[in-house]
Amino acid sequence: MKPITMTLCASVLMALAVPVQAAGDPKAGQVKTSMCAGCHGIPGWRTAYPGVYSVPKLGGQHADYIVAALKAYKTGERSHPSMKGIAASLSDQDMEDLAAYYASSYSGPAK
Amino acid sequence: MKKTLLILAAAALGMAPLAHAAKGNAEAGKAKSTPCAGCHGPDGISTVASFPKLAGQHRDYLYHSLKDYKTGKRKNPIMAGQVANLSDADMADLAAYFAAQKGLAIKY
Repeated sequence: MKPITMTLCASVLMALAVPVQAAGDPKAGQVKTSMCAGCHGIPGWRTAYPGVYSVPKLGGQHADYIVAALKAYKTGERSHPSMKGIAASLSDQDMEDLAAYYASSYSGPAK
Repeated sequence: MKKTLLILAAAALGMAPLAHAAKGNAEAGKAKSTPCAGCHGPDGISTVASFPKLAGQHRDYLYHSLKDYKTGKRKNPIMAGQVANLSDADMADLAAYFAAQKGLAIKY
């Protein structure tokens, strides 16, 4: 194979290997909140011993910041036992969707 | 009996810092919040998406975050520099100020 062809093939393969990640979708995020709502969705909820403090409000927070926080929990850069476990189970797309949901004014399908 | 007293005394001492960390003065916090405004907005509504909004966030969470930046448990180069010269009272005041602003909400 000619070098140019090889380079082209390699580029195509690399492009395919990059996971496709769309912008966050609030509707997709809303259905992924089951693990979040038990703490972040309950007024007055506090973290467990030894650091007892209110879990942060997420409604209206910037999506970029939420994604960055989740990624930092996943890598261990930011430490919190529950959040580490939860973030570890989320894909990049899940994080984008959840962040879009909390940042948005969308609160779920009409009942 | 003596042992019980000792345990009680230790428990009381252990609780003292918690009680102290409480509250904070929002008005005093406002006066100290100028350096925060550059990134987080004057009333805690940041316009840059990578900087979190602080307005309306829980007071004790804000205080806890500042403490974690100060001890180095939570790492962020910008925040580490900002909290270096803050006293415990400063952090409590700032937390009280931003918590009292209108902004974030609990979302289920």
